[in-house]
Amino acid sequence: MIKLRNHSIPPWTWSFLAAVIVLVLTYMVSGRGGSQTITLAFTVAPYLVLVGLGQMLVMSAGPGNIDVSVAKVFSLGGLVAIAVGDVTGSWVLGLGASVGVGLAMASISVVSILYVRIPPIVATLATSLIASAISLTLAKGFQGSADPVLKSFLSWAPFGIPAFAIVVLLFTILVSLILKKTTWGSQMLAFGQARRAAEYAGVNAKETIVIVYLTSGVLAALAGALRASFSAPNVELGNDYLLDSIAVVVIGGTLMSGGRAVPAGVWGGALFFILLDGLLNLIGWSYAGQNVLKGFLVLAVLFLASGAPILSRRVSQPTTDAGNDEDEAEPEIKSLS
Amino acid sequence: MLTHTSATTPAIAAGREPLVQVRRAVKTYGPTKALSGVTLDVHAGEVFGVVGHNGAGKSTLMRVLSGLDAIDSGSVQIGGVSTPSERGFPGVRMAYQEGSLALELTVYENIYLSSKSWIPDRRWHGAASRRAMARLDEIFPDHVVGPADYVDDLTLADRQMVEISRATIADDLRLLILDEPTESLSGSAVDHLYDYVRKLRASGHAIILVSHRLREVLSVCDRVAVMKDGAVVSTHAAGSVTEQDLFLAMGGEVAIQKTGNGARPTATDSSRPVCVKVPMTTVDGAATQIVAHKGEVIGLAGIAGQGQEQVLDRLWRRNGDVQASAALAYVPGDRQRSGILPLWDVARNLTIAALPSLSKNGIRQTEKENALVAEWVERLKIRGGASAAITGLSGGNQQKVIVARAFASDADTILLDDPFRGVDVHTKAELYQLIKSEAQKGRTIIWYSSENSEMQHCDRAFVLRAGRVAGELHGRDISDERIISLSFAEAREAHA
Amino acid sequence: MSTAILDHVGFNLPKGYARRALPGFLTLIAMVLILLVCGTIQPRIWSQNGLTLIMSPIVALAIASMAQMVMMSIGDIDLGIGFFVGMITTIVATLLRETPMLGVLALAGSVLAYALLGALVQLRSVPSLIATLGASFVWLGLGLFVLPVPGGAAPDWLFKYAFWKPPLSIPAPVVTMVVATALTWFVTRRTGLGVKFRSLGSNPVALMRSGGSLVVTRMLAYGTVGILGVLSGITLTAEIGGGDVNAVPGYTLTTVAAVILGGGMFTGGRAVAWGTLAGAVTLGLLTVLLTLLNLSSNLQPAVQGFIVIAVLAGRLVVERMTR
Repeated sequence: MIKLRNHSIPPWTWSFLAAVIVLVLTYMVSGRGGSQTITLAFTVAPYLVLVGLGQMLVMSAGPGNIDVSVAKVFSLGGLVAIAVGDVTGSWVLGLGASVGVGLAMASISVVSILYVRIPPIVATLATSLIASAISLTLAKGFQGSADPVLKSFLSWAPFGIPAFAIVVLLFTILVSLILKKTTWGSQMLAFGQARRAAEYAGVNAKETIVIVYLTSGVLAALAGALRASFSAPNVELGNDYLLDSIAVVVIGGTLMSGGRAVPAGVWGGALFFILLDGLLNLIGWSYAGQNVLKGFLVLAVLFLASGAPILSRRVSQPTTDAGNDEDEAEPEIKSLS
Repeated sequence: MLTHTSATTPAIAAGREPLVQVRRAVKTYGPTKALSGVTLDVHAGEVFGVVGHNGAGKSTLMRVLSGLDAIDSGSVQIGGVSTPSERGFPGVRMAYQEGSLALELTVYENIYLSSKSWIPDRRWHGAASRRAMARLDEIFPDHVVGPADYVDDLTLADRQMVEISRATIADDLRLLILDEPTESLSGSAVDHLYDYVRKLRASGHAIILVSHRLREVLSVCDRVAVMKDGAVVSTHAAGSVTEQDLFLAMGGEVAIQKTGNGARPTATDSSRPVCVKVPMTTVDGAATQIVAHKGEVIGLAGIAGQGQEQVLDRLWRRNGDVQASAALAYVPGDRQRSGILPLWDVARNLTIAALPSLSKNGIRQTEKENALVAEWVERLKIRGGASAAITGLSGGNQQKVIVARAFASDADTILLDDPFRGVDVHTKAELYQLIKSEAQKGRTIIWYSSENSEMQHCDRAFVLRAGRVAGELHGRDISDERIISLSFAEAREAHA
Repeated sequence: MSTAILDHVGFNLPKGYARRALPGFLTLIAMVLILLVCGTIQPRIWSQNGLTLIMSPIVALAIASMAQMVMMSIGDIDLGIGFFVGMITTIVATLLRETPMLGVLALAGSVLAYALLGALVQLRSVPSLIATLGASFVWLGLGLFVLPVPGGAAPDWLFKYAFWKPPLSIPAPVVTMVVATALTWFVTRRTGLGVKFRSLGSNPVALMRSGGSLVVTRMLAYGTVGILGVLSGITLTAEIGGGDVNAVPGYTLTTVAAVILGGGMFTGGRAVAWGTLAGAVTLGLLTVLLTLLNLSSNLQPAVQGFIVIAVLAGRLVVERMTR
């Protein structure tokens, strides 16, 4: 059983290693423009990283937590930002509107999860349906294009390094600091490891859930807004981001069962995925083949990374004679939540 | 100190080989030795009782006998078979205390699942229903369960009846193990069950009864084995012992070794402010209260699962009618599920509850945290050190960390949910000391323990029975005997 | 809902039966109401042709909902069913039509792949949520591989089925849906295998203690989901007349909603085939209703989303009141 938890090697190593391997392969295949590939990768990656960070926070809050609304909220964020930016003439207001939309959509999920007691998978599913409907309605007869100032910033790459990537990199560092250095960060990670234990230690369950899902919604919408400003708003803009965001989080070393968040790994995973896309395009693999490969990769990572001692077979610790011995040495069955 | 009294029953006198032969069985789970060398015999045509305190090894022994777990050393032979198949030992069936029925299945579907080998594959619905009902009628004539009832919608008592029936439906049954079978049953159902047990005995089966209801054990069993610390310490003929004898055999050592209670004031010091107030009912139906003053150690005693945890839960959740101080801390009993944070080290596990009070504006202050950790690691002698992974520690040391977590916070009232089960004696002694000294510093402790001897460390103890207060004991009055008599006395009345 | 009420009326239902059958029953009423409203707006529905017309797009959804129901009965969820069904249409529209043997092999292989997924979920304790999400990449890719753009054509025999008119003026889609539901109901509620499925979902410990194998049971359940997915894909091919892997990505969400409407639970153990059918038809008819009311079809996903939340909220309220 391969344990992800390894004190000597940081968990994000493997994703970066994989990214580097793909980069080397790309260079070998194309024989030129290694730096071009890197620039392109860093141009596209930040959007995926933003969504991935949100997904990472949600998944770290405990098993069963996942946000499947990110794709639709992403697209909706894009449409709203461009529409508002166009009408008001200010891209700042446009971005602000997308943040508001992200909050609104996430609120639907949060209320469903906390008060209607719907499992997160279904709650965010329902939210995605609502976001999708709003997007479709907005898209009809949509007029508006990206603000040129914002667009040029997003395309700006001094010395071959996209400025926006630096911004998102700084943001990632901020997230990492919050997780490591703040009380909330520790409490959330405790909650993700053992919900009951954390609650008994004074962690507020509702607060934790609210914050991670709202953050995910905001990040997805904002990423969509920026992505739409980089190219063009589109109802389908976010479609790939659902599976990709989960995949890069998992590949990056964040534990699916919660309790360990690896922000750096999200970068590693994103770069790996994007470079892989590039490589596959280069060697002529169809979009079909890319999807198959991606799927197998995710499944392979799941196969290898799961089964860490804490997750599957519970190490036979006896509970005592006062009952509750049914989970001794009997495998824990992972189901929906 | 009681050892083996002459325990010859007709079954043994018949001179046949024992059906169940266990020799020096040892079973270890990680750092804990659940069975430390169990030796016993059970004969066909005999009802064999197994009693013992929490943590004595009863559950583990039953798991071994039913084939769910394998021993590490020693031997287990049932009906001549030494190695169980994946279905366990042939002819051995166990009625579990909980968790053996699928709630979303109907009664007959559960029976079918469990007894497939003896129910024809074709038209099994009718066959399973008939067998289920036939057995239920046979054991519990007054039952109101229907074969197509969903188990989730049955009362706990009905579920238990179904579970017991399920266990007995096996054509090759030789040994039936009953694990706390009457916990959810009441009145006539209990009597019916034991009538059936006697019937089984008469037809040559062996029955093992694990129960904390000593009166029942003595009334139906031929022999009784007392377990303690993973071994059988004595076996008795049921007719020649009393409940008190059994109880002393279970924990007699500790009962004699009364810790100095004289130092604590026996009268309630009502000059100190009231920190905790929980409205309760007495067993006679009168209204009463569980009250705790600042600096008091209040115990919640009685048989495990009689409402003590509910009191703690009400306090923790600050239900409307309950009064509790502002800052509460909770020490859970089930450290695997509700205690340890498995990915972290000792330091982070220890400080988690104290973080809000240690940080400034939400930012962690690592020097303060480290200082706190060092203090507590030193104070409780947590072996392994601050940076050891919590999962690498022994159970006792893990529990130290969980306890330290609560006390390291700034809470002024600490709730303890039977946290010392399965913890070794030395650790327990250290932790009792901790409780006392923290109380002296002005912290209020509400302490539920399933081990009666621990209650002697309390200023006052409330004995609970079925969620109600059976009695309140003060200071020196807190003794095993008094607690037993208060908790068991009610049981007697209920079955009268 | 307490059966005490029914006892007074003289019924003697098993305990828990009413509580489980009620949600599906309510959905059935909703379904009939929606149908009646549709019929009022467009009376031409009330004919074999008319009903066939509005029902035939729903068949594939209904069968896919059966698949999702089986998944949820073991306590898992399938987030890849949409692309799986789409992939099947590509296989049916090409391989099955041109080289039937290869086509059958490919379909069998798809079912086997599902079973292997089940093994992965069980043996490596992977959440089904993420495993099926990963698998959906693979289905999408394979579907694109077979048919990069929508194309192909339905095999002859499938073509004939699309024009089949059963006797007694019963619409063909109704027959298909009822047969599929009956089969699913039979397997999940009347066979020993179904008992094992539901035990796996309700209390795996009970299954283990009875000597059942968790791995085998899960694999068989996933295999069953695969078979139903294949059937759904086949009927979808008949409906769209060809293959398209991107035909029904929305099935994932809609099938979950259908199972919920039918009385299913996320925590496993419950198999409500008839209720799921009512749920699927209700959701399918919603599209028809929205079209007839000239409301934008853009709203359809939102309506589905609201319905899921509303139904679950309602159920929570009812449960609080009666338990």
